[in-house]
Amino acid sequence: MKDLMRLRSLLGTEVEALLNNQIKMEAYNSSVYLAMASWCDRNGFDYSADHFYKQAEDEREHMLRFFKYVSDMGGTAVSPSVDGIPQEFESFREVFESALELEVKTTQAINNIADKCYKEKDHVTVEFLNWFHKEQREEEYVARRCLELFEVIGEEGTGRWEIDKAIPSVSYGNE
Amino acid sequence: MSRMCKKVAPAITESYQEVFRTKSGCIYQSDVEKSLLVEFANKIARFDIRCLQRLKNAVFSINLAEMATDTSRTTDVEIISLCACEHCYVLTLREIINFRELLAGAFVMFELNSIIQERIYSIPVYA
Ligand SMILES: [Fe+2]
Ligand SMILES: [Fe+2]
Repeated sequence: MKDLMRLRSLLGTEVEALLNNQIKMEAYNSSVYLAMASWCDRNGFDYSADHFYKQAEDEREHMLRFFKYVSDMGGTAVSPSVDGIPQEFESFREVFESALELEVKTTQAINNIADKCYKEKDHVTVEFLNWFHKEQREEEYVARRCLELFEVIGEEGTGRWEIDKAIPSVSYGNE
Repeated sequence: MSRMCKKVAPAITESYQEVFRTKSGCIYQSDVEKSLLVEFANKIARFDIRCLQRLKNAVFSINLAEMATDTSRTTDVEIISLCACEHCYVLTLREIINFRELLAGAFVMFELNSIIQERIYSIPVYA
């Protein structure tokens, strides 16, 4: 008897479900970053707003990467709905704390998919995920460095203005 | 999407192999047609594997406890219809339980078959 399921799709049911979850998570991240950009904009942090607009776009790209992979491998990519996006933040600093937490959660989620793939011997998807493991290295680095500026520069006086100005210079160069 | 469920009246031709049978029904697979037949609730319906997977999800997502305790007449039966699939089932609580047994059993067989296929046929033997 032919394995019709396998002939249809490279992805196992559970891996496919995890990938669809990740599509949702990346879409959620994109929306959260957009909310952060909005918050920064209306509170006078122009450079940080730009930074988060860019992050929002990156996250959408991540979402599409997962989406196309599921689709290309014969699975059903589910167009994500997102809700529960936080629109308000306590402080400038809290925005960056939330950003780092978001990235940490994302790294964990992607690790979790890889765990499942190893268990199912789905090395094809493991290889696909490698790009994301590397990306998360950069994402966490940038989020952490941004947050560290609050310590390095300090928030007193014109501190927050200086932190905002320093945000665009944060980048991860060591590949 | 129309390719998911073919419109020809299905018949259990000889290319169909039995996948799983219970007292209430049977699921067959044809390697030639690359499709599945579900013999249940006095009808035979043809599905493709993804459609069948969605049917299984639909049948398993019905809240049986709610159905059993709700006394309004509308909950005596559950209508299961899938988007992009012409088949529709109107099932009683008893039938849903039987359908679950049939579908779950078939999917265990698919999984078992998958393991067997992988173990036996994926390793080339040059002897
Ligand atoms: Fe991401
Ligand atoms: Fe990210």
